[in-house]
Amino acid sequence: MNKLEFHYFHLMPWPYLPKDFEESVDSAWVTVPNSIYDPIKGHELYNRYFDELERADKLGFDSVIVNEHHQNVYGTMPSPNLMAAVLTQRIKHAKIGIIGNALPLHDDPLRVAEEIAMLDVISGGRIFNGFVRGTGMEYFSYGVNPTLSRERMNEAHDLILQAWTQPGPTIFEGEHYNYRYVNIWPRPIQQPPPIWMPGTASLETIDFAAKRKYPYMTVFMPMAQRKAAYELYRRTAEEKYGYEAQPNQLAFCTPVIVAETDEIAYQTAKKYLMWLFHKGLKVRPEFNFPPGYISEKSFLNVLKAGVRGFQLSTLDDLIAEGVVIVGGVDTVIEKLSYYTDELKAGMLVAGGHVGEIPDYLVLKNQEIMAKEVMPHFRQKAEPAVTPQIREVRELVGVSN
Amino acid sequence: MTTTEAVSERVNTTAPKEYTLDVRGIATHIFESGPETAPVLVYLHGTSLGNLWLEYHQRLASSFRVIAPDIPGFGKTERPDLMRDMDDYVLFFRDMLDALGLEKVNLVGHSLGGWMAAEVAVWYPERINKLVLSNASGIRVKGTPIANLFALNPQETLDVCFDDVMAAMPLMPSEMNVDYFLVQYRERQTLASLAWNPGFDRKLERRLARLTCPTLIIWGVNDRLIPPVYGEVFHQKIAGSKLVSLPGTGHMPMFEKAQEWADAINEFLSPNGGTLR
Repeated sequence: MNKLEFHYFHLMPWPYLPKDFEESVDSAWVTVPNSIYDPIKGHELYNRYFDELERADKLGFDSVIVNEHHQNVYGTMPSPNLMAAVLTQRIKHAKIGIIGNALPLHDDPLRVAEEIAMLDVISGGRIFNGFVRGTGMEYFSYGVNPTLSRERMNEAHDLILQAWTQPGPTIFEGEHYNYRYVNIWPRPIQQPPPIWMPGTASLETIDFAAKRKYPYMTVFMPMAQRKAAYELYRRTAEEKYGYEAQPNQLAFCTPVIVAETDEIAYQTAKKYLMWLFHKGLKVRPEFNFPPGYISEKSFLNVLKAGVRGFQLSTLDDLIAEGVVIVGGVDTVIEKLSYYTDELKAGMLVAGGHVGEIPDYLVLKNQEIMAKEVMPHFRQKAEPAVTPQIREVRELVGVSN
Repeated sequence: MTTTEAVSERVNTTAPKEYTLDVRGIATHIFESGPETAPVLVYLHGTSLGNLWLEYHQRLASSFRVIAPDIPGFGKTERPDLMRDMDDYVLFFRDMLDALGLEKVNLVGHSLGGWMAAEVAVWYPERINKLVLSNASGIRVKGTPIANLFALNPQETLDVCFDDVMAAMPLMPSEMNVDYFLVQYRERQTLASLAWNPGFDRKLERRLARLTCPTLIIWGVNDRLIPPVYGEVFHQKIAGSKLVSLPGTGHMPMFEKAQEWADAINEFLSPNGGTLR
């Protein structure tokens, strides 16, 4: 097994913001005026983004990943399944991750089960999923009651899994979803298509993932929080569910800016990376935590942690805290090795496209990552052990 | 949080009784005050206005036996997890009247409590003598949405609710600590359960035609949370209702114009009031 899997995610941001954006717009989500979006430029942009993902495939990344967000400049993929459909035609080797569908936002999760099954069949069994609840902001955008978020999430998850794995027709009897006929056509190839859980360290999500052995992915979090989340996952797996968590159950999503030297990477990050945190994630605080979106226990943890918003973070803060990875090849290898060797986390979900970064820099980032960083974590091909060699080894008392 | 003592001096009445009543398993915190032989007035508070006994309560208690429960999910009354919809609350209030041994009461509700009062009157008209809706939610007036409390920060919330921010002093916590924010979060969950989307009952406006009791609609003319046009629609839909508009105040007339607000209600609920139908 490779020491580290390399997954390439794209947020597909809307980078063309007015000069006075930071002063004139109080939230890049929910209420940000959509007159800022230019569909003609959007046409060019979507296709450029697909090109970037296609390159990631050709460069040997293990997967390309898209996700679902609504009504914002941070990521313009309200329907990740549509994006994945396009990718099935463009991506020839890599897997295609949809991390994820925001299940509670949808009144009809059977549709999600059907669409993923279609994608899995079309792609030849290359789809994997994140099941997410969506951000707090999206409960404003979609009008879905945040107090029901977790219940709807859990129920939709059960329904989808049932639809994928149980020979239909079956019946689903839930509090929020009720179907007399669960009988999807087509059925997926994979039984079931794998599920990951991205999270921001909420206790409930970690338990949910550990219970089902779903990979848990930390998102844009300081290292201390990531570490705590992995520890909790491990402990929960071991003490509550009786197994040892493996590196391919612990994923970390982080923007990575890698370049020829630390200095060049730093300058690139300084110019482009902070768009993500200062503009893309500019959120009116009230939109972040609608009532009931997180449990009272998690809310207390947030209060006590006194989290500093990304708005107030500098690039140096984010690098120092491990929210992002920026550096030359050796530095990046060292930082990734901390995950693989110390935290035993074996799945990097790296984004190279941030904000207004030009395509040639994205390409450079992808190439250095694929050609100079990736090989360090790939398993060296070992000579095959033939029966004759084994016999000789046994004779001379050398173990495998 | 109460300011009973300060108020007592001004309106010259005694402090309220405070007790917990078992309403089908829900430990309901209640303030009660006023002459024991006077007609009963049940007061349903608005969002996050539980566990309060202020001047306006006291003014109502000068003529009535006022019973002011903390609505489940607010103040000191906990909300069972499965109590999530308006019909759960309607049943709760009927149960509460039973537990109090009250056959028929005057029902006064403000804001969210006004919505609840209107629903109770629709479903159990035989339990209501007279009804008062103050700056009540519960219906929709297309084109004039209620301000989205969930999207407002604390300062904006005050600005939307109060004309005179100083009048909000009784609501200010003595200390902004973790417990305070947790209670706020908890109470907002109750509000979200009932009013995240839609923030009204689609059927209530039509059902208001079923109301048979004398009804007073009272509104601060500068209400920026639930605009006064809502009061006008309630007035139109409830046959024979009386509409009183209070100038110089908004969503919180009982804080800003306690005397005018209480006088209008006391007068309407008096034996000769509210009979013009």
